[in-house]
Amino acid sequence: MNHERIEFDAVVIGAGLAGSAAAMHLARGGLNVALVERGRKPGGKNYFGGAIYTHAIAEVLPDYAERRPPFERPVTEAGFWFLSRDGLTRMTVQGGHLATEPADAYITLRANFDPWWAEQAREAGALLIPKTTVVDFIREEDGQVTGVVTDRPQGEIYAPVVIICEGVNNLLTQKLGLAESDLEPAQLALGFKQVISLPMEAINGRLGLVDDNHGLAVSVLGDVSLGLPGMGFLYTNKTSLSIGLGVMLDTLAEYRLRPYDVLQRYLDHPVIAPLVEGGQLLEYGAHLIPEGGYRAMPKLYGKGVLVAGDAASMVNALHWEGTNMAIIAGKLAAETALEAHSRGDFSERVMSRYKDRLEERFILQDLRQYRGFAKFLETHPQFMDVYPNFINDALGQFFTAYGKPKKELFRNMLKALSDRRSLLRATGDIIAMTRAVMGW
Amino acid sequence: MTMKTGDAFEVKELPEELKATLPEVYVDDLLMTLKYFIDEEQAHLQIKNHDVCARCEYKPCLYFCPVGVYTLGPDGRIQIAYQSCVECGSCRVACPYTNIEWTLPRGGFGVAYKFG
Repeated sequence: MNHERIEFDAVVIGAGLAGSAAAMHLARGGLNVALVERGRKPGGKNYFGGAIYTHAIAEVLPDYAERRPPFERPVTEAGFWFLSRDGLTRMTVQGGHLATEPADAYITLRANFDPWWAEQAREAGALLIPKTTVVDFIREEDGQVTGVVTDRPQGEIYAPVVIICEGVNNLLTQKLGLAESDLEPAQLALGFKQVISLPMEAINGRLGLVDDNHGLAVSVLGDVSLGLPGMGFLYTNKTSLSIGLGVMLDTLAEYRLRPYDVLQRYLDHPVIAPLVEGGQLLEYGAHLIPEGGYRAMPKLYGKGVLVAGDAASMVNALHWEGTNMAIIAGKLAAETALEAHSRGDFSERVMSRYKDRLEERFILQDLRQYRGFAKFLETHPQFMDVYPNFINDALGQFFTAYGKPKKELFRNMLKALSDRRSLLRATGDIIAMTRAVMGW
Repeated sequence: MTMKTGDAFEVKELPEELKATLPEVYVDDLLMTLKYFIDEEQAHLQIKNHDVCARCEYKPCLYFCPVGVYTLGPDGRIQIAYQSCVECGSCRVACPYTNIEWTLPRGGFGVAYKFG
């Protein structure tokens, strides 16, 4: 029983986007940091769409480009695909805002990106401790957190400040009472996807990409989710596609849907099947996405402790943002921990400066503005059903000659909507969406 | 709109013709692509009380688990193939009776995504 007490200036739980950002910033600030990761290596537990945003990376690591991040492709084309039962209407943008160098966003695979991201923290001086699960906290009688308990023998690590970046299953956040309970199924989407290998030329040719320095990122609405609350997605990697869906967990449970059946149905869709034809499945996987927004957020700080990233529901589902919030929140948590160290004060009052920092940035401003969006999607399934079908139907009619007077065409197009949703209700839907997005 | 829990849990049905468009996928074909480090000594998923599962009319876990961890045994009891778990957390949250004891695998064990 005669072992030395392991002490650091700070412990970060989880070497994901938020955690490694926090560890990097702390180490560069001169602190002794332990970055504890339960996987064999960082990224091994992570599964996402998806894309990473350079504005966020640059904030933590200004010279990131020289450090050769393992990006797949830049997002040079982005938008929505509206899927009907047998048709597709694409609404994507390219050029203009998306033609910058470096790009605003890069498509990545997390098993490649996260190890690189953690390596940057390590190079800055943080100690990465993999294969180690944090199971509890060391707390003083007044609740002040003074370290973590891991599942290693004699696995206590002491530190006056702990940054929790444990991800969506925020059991440690709950343990401290910062989150009262688990999120509800309606506040979570289950993301599931396949990574499908295809030759680069096939990807470029089928999706109309000039070369492998061009990439596509789309949200897919409509038939993809059987018209239920959820969204499909498609991202082009260099020589594979990341294709999958996020469907609200309450929907999956109540309709008793098998996620892999729903995904296969998407892949079998008549306009999607030719895109993936001949591809080889490299990996299937699933991960929860905390889409409850502002109202689902835990308390972000406590005595000697801060929470960042998915653990704090920092996701803006409509804009695919989450990775950027995680990275910046990790950095802001680190700034707060550095401030606490310089003052020698780890009280809740100093920790609360983290929230002020988040308030000053888009993170809490956006999450507050979009606070009604999760509820809006729940109460307006038409956006997954009526409108994607209407758009396909109406546009399809517009571009069909028929040999009939155009007056009839426009009447039919209008009918394509009114058969599905009364004009009054449709107007109400648009107002409701505007309110949800604007935060009115 | 929140999912009802416990005995109040209700299922919803898709229209038959829409339901008919769902293929039946053999999930093991997908699991073959996953890399795991299996903890042979310790199962990180447990059913808290099998009597509760017996009372659960709709057993949604048999469906929504993305890797088919939950199956019905010949004796009608729920069986857990924790070795296939990708640690997503869905079962902990969406079990209508919160009857699943869900912990993280010990450090280094469990799923290890190769692509992510």
